[in-house]
Amino acid sequence: MLKVKISQAIPNPLQLNIECTPGELHALVGPSGSGKTTALRTIAGLNNAHTGKIECDGQLWFEATEIGGVEVSLSPAERSCGFIFQQYALFPHLTALENVCIPLYNSLPEVSERKQLAQQWLERMGIGELANRMPSQLSGGQQQRVALARALARTPKILLLDEPFSAIDAPTRQSLYKTLAALRKDLNIPILLVTHDLREADLLADRITVIDQGVGLQTAPPQVLFERPRNSRVAELVGINNKFEGIFTAGKLTWNGCQQIFNVVDKGKIPPNTPVAWVITAEGLSLNADKSTLSVEVIVEQLSTLGQIAVIQLRTLEGGHAVVWEASAAEVKRLSLKVGEIAHLEIDSGKIHIMPLRPINDPRRFREAS
Amino acid sequence: MRKGRSWIEGLLALPLVLPPTVLGYYLLVGLGGKSFFGIPLVFSFTGILIASLIVNLPFAIQPIQRAFESIQPEILESAQVSGLSNWQIFRLIELPLAWRGITSAAVLTFAHTLGEFGVILMVGGAIPGETKTVSIAIYDKVQSFDTTGAGLLSLILLGTSLVAIALSYGVFGRHPSPPKRWEV
Repeated sequence: MLKVKISQAIPNPLQLNIECTPGELHALVGPSGSGKTTALRTIAGLNNAHTGKIECDGQLWFEATEIGGVEVSLSPAERSCGFIFQQYALFPHLTALENVCIPLYNSLPEVSERKQLAQQWLERMGIGELANRMPSQLSGGQQQRVALARALARTPKILLLDEPFSAIDAPTRQSLYKTLAALRKDLNIPILLVTHDLREADLLADRITVIDQGVGLQTAPPQVLFERPRNSRVAELVGINNKFEGIFTAGKLTWNGCQQIFNVVDKGKIPPNTPVAWVITAEGLSLNADKSTLSVEVIVEQLSTLGQIAVIQLRTLEGGHAVVWEASAAEVKRLSLKVGEIAHLEIDSGKIHIMPLRPINDPRRFREAS
Repeated sequence: MRKGRSWIEGLLALPLVLPPTVLGYYLLVGLGGKSFFGIPLVFSFTGILIASLIVNLPFAIQPIQRAFESIQPEILESAQVSGLSNWQIFRLIELPLAWRGITSAAVLTFAHTLGEFGVILMVGGAIPGETKTVSIAIYDKVQSFDTTGAGLLSLILLGTSLVAIALSYGVFGRHPSPPKRWEV
């Protein structure tokens, strides 16, 4: 179990509180410069946070308080974590096999033993036959496999991956995803993945923490994150297309500029007459040719079909809100949709998720406080 | 800290710009009357050895420093997270990666030392069999109109310098590898 609670204001603001259980793949997602990598480096001991506590497998790795300063800080070598760098960071003067021997240098005194174990790790990564190649003779994907073997050879207590797939072409990436998925079953250690690619996080992670300006905004399983983002900023960061504003009063949501009122259930935390942001998932939208009591009139602005999937840009006649509707190409054909025509959009109010406009965990508030 | 470092770096680079006779003069004054394990420093081989060392320091330090600086920080960080101690990182990662810079510095410094003139003359005084170097001998031969001798000695120095520069530029194929490749 990895427990991280760190905070600092300089040089980069960071306020993070995450836990990762053995076998879990936890993704840290956020835009460039949001502090994801800083967080990962702090866990590995390559950076120190101003205050906080990092515990792994019951061992205290780092502790610092406002008054006492840094009380405990194990060196990166003592922390026993596997770290995968974006640009692989293999030792260029050593062969693939020797690269994997390096983390075994202190645990296995015999060179032959080291080489034997390193070879096993390379074979497990599916590159046993490349053992004697130099890093410069390997492709990006192969280099990353060597880096994985090197990180795991030490039998680390956690695995930290810093944008490991961003420099790799798409087909190779798919095969690395499979390798990682297979590995995590056997390893049973916490795995932290830093990425700016939401799709990647959605595909691989059990839970995602969204980071913005160094602050962890929400931690949730991918599905929950996409359906119920905690606030407007999270919705924006997770790339929810259909995000609107309205006024919420006692279970009734008014869409700005529209007559339609939706019945929405919330936890009773939002006071009456509060301006809110609201999101709706693709499943909550349907398009019909005929009008109904719950439907909103829309005009079809753009229609693009990509194989079996169609993306339709709609605009409401009242309020002029842009809505994106994704449907199957067959559905589009059934409705015989054409650009410039009027259709009726039905919104399932049960799938509406409302949230405060100003994030509760607003990074601006953090900056003001520090 | 940074300021102190700049001062030290500047001081070590000083022989690059200082006229050799000026440096030789200060060394003569500074070493005069002192001895090293009973061997007088001025007008002795030990003296010119020390003088050459000081004069050639910047020629060795700069390429070595550049070689160490050109190692990507990520490489060293990955060595840290691989569990190596600082000494092990130096021995197994940094030294082999900087080796090319170190050998090229050694070769260039060797060639440069062979041709040293001003400082050697000031500190060593051109004593035959003791402190008379090839470049001083060439000068002496020209002074005494022995052009054949001067030409021969010049040819030797030219050949040595050529070999040295060819070595450091890797003309003979491979760059020199560490003397004994450490087993990892």
